[in-house]
Amino acid sequence: MARRRKSWRFLRFGLLVAALLAAGYTLYLDVRVRREFEGRRFALPARIYARPLELHVGLRVPEADVVRELSGLGYRPAARAGESGWFVQDGAQLEIAARTFVFWDGPQPAKRLRVTFDGDAVTALTDAQGQALPLARLEPLPIGGIYPTNNEDRVLVRLGEVPKPLVDELIAVEDRRFYTHHGFDPRGLARAALSLVTGRVEGGSTLTQQLVKNFFLTPERTLQRKLTELLMAVLLELHYDKQEILETYLNEIYLGQDRDRAIHGIGLAAQFYFGRDVGQLTLAESALLVGMVKGPAVYDPYRHPRRALERRNLVLRETLDQRSITRAQYDAARATELGLNPKPAMGTSPYPAFVQLVHRQLLRDYDERDLRSEGLRIFTTLDPRVQAAAERALTERLAEFDRQRRFGEPGLQGAVVVADPQSGEVQALVGGRDPRYQGFNRALDADRQVGSLLKPAIYLTALAEPSRYTLATPLDDGPFVWKSRGSPDWRPANYDKRFHGAVPLQAALAHSYNVAAARLGTALGVERVLATAQKLGIERPLSPYPSTLLGAANLSPFEMAQMYQTIASGGFRSPLHAIRDVTTLDGRPLKRYPLAVEQAFAPEPVYLLVAALQDVVREGTAQGLASWLPPQLAVAGKTGTTNDERDAWFAGFTGDRLGVVWVGYDDNRVARLTGSTAAVPVWGDMMAALEPEQLALPRPEGIEQVAIDPQSGLRAGAGCDGALELPFIQGSAPSAQAPCTGVALTERVKNWFERLFGQ
Amino acid sequence: MRLLLLVVALLAGCAAVQPSAPPAPPQENVAIAGLMDTARADAAAGRLPSAAASLERALRIEPRNPRLWQELARVRLAQGEYAQAEGLAARSNSWAGSDGALRAENWRLIAQAREAHGDADGARAALNTAERYGR
Repeated sequence: MARRRKSWRFLRFGLLVAALLAAGYTLYLDVRVRREFEGRRFALPARIYARPLELHVGLRVPEADVVRELSGLGYRPAARAGESGWFVQDGAQLEIAARTFVFWDGPQPAKRLRVTFDGDAVTALTDAQGQALPLARLEPLPIGGIYPTNNEDRVLVRLGEVPKPLVDELIAVEDRRFYTHHGFDPRGLARAALSLVTGRVEGGSTLTQQLVKNFFLTPERTLQRKLTELLMAVLLELHYDKQEILETYLNEIYLGQDRDRAIHGIGLAAQFYFGRDVGQLTLAESALLVGMVKGPAVYDPYRHPRRALERRNLVLRETLDQRSITRAQYDAARATELGLNPKPAMGTSPYPAFVQLVHRQLLRDYDERDLRSEGLRIFTTLDPRVQAAAERALTERLAEFDRQRRFGEPGLQGAVVVADPQSGEVQALVGGRDPRYQGFNRALDADRQVGSLLKPAIYLTALAEPSRYTLATPLDDGPFVWKSRGSPDWRPANYDKRFHGAVPLQAALAHSYNVAAARLGTALGVERVLATAQKLGIERPLSPYPSTLLGAANLSPFEMAQMYQTIASGGFRSPLHAIRDVTTLDGRPLKRYPLAVEQAFAPEPVYLLVAALQDVVREGTAQGLASWLPPQLAVAGKTGTTNDERDAWFAGFTGDRLGVVWVGYDDNRVARLTGSTAAVPVWGDMMAALEPEQLALPRPEGIEQVAIDPQSGLRAGAGCDGALELPFIQGSAPSAQAPCTGVALTERVKNWFERLFGQ
Repeated sequence: MRLLLLVVALLAGCAAVQPSAPPAPPQENVAIAGLMDTARADAAAGRLPSAAASLERALRIEPRNPRLWQELARVRLAQGEYAQAEGLAARSNSWAGSDGALRAENWRLIAQAREAHGDADGARAALNTAERYGR
């Protein structure tokens, strides 16, 4: 008896302890539920946008490119009554129902546009009533984001924005007693308990339980976890009303995968699958999304359209059974196709190299954590047209070179940077031959010998001294030895292993003669040349050795683009940048990155340098460009080829674009490619696709054109045949008159000026 | 006075024959005009960042329009960005071709920027240059 009483006492004590423990655990869970649910803010990725396309009369853009941009935005190629986000193409006319969009300068309402094209230009732009519009800005293409851990992406919605049928469908399929239960459903629970006996823990979860599971718990399937989930669900229901729980559920729910990007929440899913805001979803569309909740991979409508359709129809059926929709609604919805957005998969970004540049530039002003959670909107300078042309040119040419040369694996690599020379806006960035690859970004991080790409710094230093140097000044390209104590003699050689005697300055640059450049650079002083390079925008310190003059310096394509931007704009340095504006999630402007301009050089010497760089394309090492671009474009540029042909470069510019191309092997193997044979073709392919503008640098006031006699390099008189006009800084042109005696030319006299100018 | 007029006329004549940048589009682009109006209204109302944003939009369409560069220089000056104002006015000059009045105005802007910057000598030099281009 006593023993029995004793064991009863023990039992009571045990029960008490158990109850206390349970209470303590419940309390702990309660605190956790409340703290996490209330403090819970969904981490929203910074969203990155390309430049918006600005339509106006006179804009040169092929209609097909505008259509491609609209398709990329998820616009449908057919009218949708009462809705925006579609376009209709009718020959040379394009009707666009542009969606509303919040720009950095405020919201822009939805608008109907009519655009007429002729050839590759916009000839008329009106609204739906035919009223002429001066300018229409399309919404910018989203090009990626800076994502929270697990690459979760979502677009938050308020419950009020979600169509009621969607909620009805969800409840019909996932949790019929949602509005009446207290977090768990005894019947579902009984079912779950039963399945325990059969050894499988599954089913019976209410929406609340599902939310708890996604929010707080790991996905393991144990009894203990199931009980914790149940307890937390009850606690959640105690503290929050059904509307709050439902709204959070709709924003949390996982609805599929876009490569490495996880699609969360009904708002993003509506955009991703249907190109619509959640409020515009049809009954059938929302049924598909609701059906996918059960298994986004299993019912992935892109990969398993049949299965997804069946699942959607089942959702519709259950909703009908719940009498949430009418028979007629059901029949109509059932009869529709899936109607998916044809938008190609993007993953975290289709342009990882550019997004990396954006990310780095953002980190100057923002915390990593904020970028990954605050939902900032980043408006960038990327031009998808230019980017596409750059990617295509690089990948296709590299594949071709690989086939021709068969230098084994891994194959050739390359990088491209394109910028607007006037503003320094980066329009395209390709970091390697696979533009979707997220890793090593050669455009920014490949430090490669730049070779002759640095030579313009020498010539600009010289031309800034008009009393000593003009484009016509003869330079000595004879054998040259540089001696300095403590280091071996330096004997630069030309690419063709020959010396060329006296050559005019312009020709020495056009043909990229190393010896003439080395002699000129050392005469000017290495430090002075490096100071010029720095003013051109090379921020990294360069070694003050004469070999640096010929490009024995490791720099990235991006740094080269900065240097050539300063030249291409006539001496005005604008830091290369990828961001225009940043706003908060709701469109409040946070920061502008204004156009910045600094006059780094007087316009006159830069004008002369550009004239010489145009000669590189007309007569010199880049004359192959003539196969891509007509001579009237007057393109300027410079090739670069490093020792043993390991790196091939071309940096060049037209009136509206500046591009730098690098080609070589990652392991610095000998590539047997030159700037002319490898980089120029990539550049040519790319620019030809973009129909560039003519390069016409404005002539500074202090520049005069002087006729020069090509035989003597002196001022041509009236009697001189075939005189050539060259630009000179006022007062620097040769004063001596050429004899122009009309003496018959001999081979010996047929000097460089003639060969240079093709007389 | 007559002499001065003669000099001015001569200078103007010189400027006119001087080869200039590629010709601006024959008629003012309506898109540019609209953005310019917006920018002026914003600037007048003190919304300088918005004014600058509109001018930059316009410059993306017509990067060789010296009036846009000048207007942007004016906005930067009002924002107290003196170095930028000077750079932008110089940029406007580079596209100004034979437009002496425009150049003169750019040099006056440069003078103001230098003055505000505390560079009195530089400001005086810029004003002298402005004088040379007449008024």
